[in-house]
Amino acid sequence: MAAPKKAVKSAKSSKIKPKSAASGPAKIASKQAAKAPGGRKTPDVASADPTLFDPLTPGEIADALRTLTEDRRLGSMAKVGRYRVICTEPLVIKPPHWMAGHRLARVVVYDYAADRTVDACVDLDAGVVSHLELTKSQPMLSRDEEALAISIAMTDDRVRAKLMLGDVPQTTMHYWGRNPKDISFARRSAAVIFGRSDGHSSVVAVVDLLDNQVTQVVPAEMW
Amino acid sequence: MSNVINEANWKFHWRLTESAGIMVYLADFKGRRVMWEGSLPYVTVDHQQQSLDVATEASEVHGPWWVPLGTRTIQGPVRVQTFRGGVELSAQFQAGPYQYTQLWRFHDDGRLSPWLTIYGPGVHDQHTYHPHWRFDFDLDGARNDAFERFEGNHWHRVETEGWFPYGGEADESGSVWRQVDADSGSAINIRPHSWDDAEVFAIRYHDGEWAPYSPRSAAGSQPFPAAYVGDEALDGDDVTLWYVAHVHFDQSFPYTAGPWIKVEGLGR
Repeated sequence: MAAPKKAVKSAKSSKIKPKSAASGPAKIASKQAAKAPGGRKTPDVASADPTLFDPLTPGEIADALRTLTEDRRLGSMAKVGRYRVICTEPLVIKPPHWMAGHRLARVVVYDYAADRTVDACVDLDAGVVSHLELTKSQPMLSRDEEALAISIAMTDDRVRAKLMLGDVPQTTMHYWGRNPKDISFARRSAAVIFGRSDGHSSVVAVVDLLDNQVTQVVPAEMW
Repeated sequence: MSNVINEANWKFHWRLTESAGIMVYLADFKGRRVMWEGSLPYVTVDHQQQSLDVATEASEVHGPWWVPLGTRTIQGPVRVQTFRGGVELSAQFQAGPYQYTQLWRFHDDGRLSPWLTIYGPGVHDQHTYHPHWRFDFDLDGARNDAFERFEGNHWHRVETEGWFPYGGEADESGSVWRQVDADSGSAINIRPHSWDDAEVFAIRYHDGEWAPYSPRSAAGSQPFPAAYVGDEALDGDDVTLWYVAHVHFDQSFPYTAGPWIKVEGLGR
């Protein structure tokens, strides 16, 4: 296995505080202080509030997205409007981090205009984007992207020519190629699997979601 | 249905995620915190081309693909059922030719089984599943943990982050990896399924390195969780573990992948 790399991070706003460099005894002392009766109690993982893990309400999701798109660092993304919200879920940060105990939303967006992923933590209590990462990683497909990939594949003549009577789209997979010569190696892509409703697959169509075109049509048994 | 389960000496919460199956969080055994959260962030699938052509036989023509196990692929409700000596959560997921049952089983003796039953059939027979579990164990607090691996007939402390495949050696209980809390001496023991071809990634916990919404990092780079592995020290800090199985499809399917996990020493 080749030497792995750390995920690239950039453009953090309120930078997440690094872990304490203190070792052994200092940590133990801090842990004991957290449990010390009578003393001021430091937040601890054992006393975390489970309601912070609860699904976000529609209002909280809307709040998180509004906060994100109003953030100045994402001004160009919001202005161009070529982005997809992949998902918005609750995020709970462990003590002793300063955001522990806050109601947080993690918002993942794919920005087509810049071909990048936006991974943000929105502090719903404070109404700010408290953590922002812009990377070249590829998040899962959104439901809209899955549906778009199907509609692109269904209207492609090469796909239609290979479909048998009764073939329907079975599912859409998030796909990337291994070979640098493959278009899907670097570009956001989906693979639409066609087949019968009984489960037998017949054709795989790879869709480039940046240019909205089918780049490969492969019989399922040859995939 | 309540998402808090208090059964068989365990108390834990659960919720269905968008892409990581059923997430279990704030899990306590006999009143002591064991796990901050655990989930199944993704199951990637590799298909190997079915060809007798010698020229193309060795090359991997196509890359992996995956589909989220979550709200958009679940079939029916999440079930909560008791069994003799424990309680379990289960849910079925389907996406085209891929079917899975995710299980979380909690035993009253401290065992925990995060499992995945894989049915197939895939788009053809020549394919391999790679389920990835992520565990953030917090034995008696998040810090002051250590990670150990059984090798050379002894447990060895692992100093820095890394990738630790199962090499065939295990202690008398079958455990290959363990996370130890230095304060209490309690431990989480991980025993792989013999046929999982399993490996564990041990990574120092960082805020910001939450479970990714895809294994795909930048083009040409290592996928997650390998992309999180650096050379940071583990000893005495907060550790996140990823258990990855590699299961080739065959006619004996369905196959249930995933580790046995056992909590020990919390009663001291």
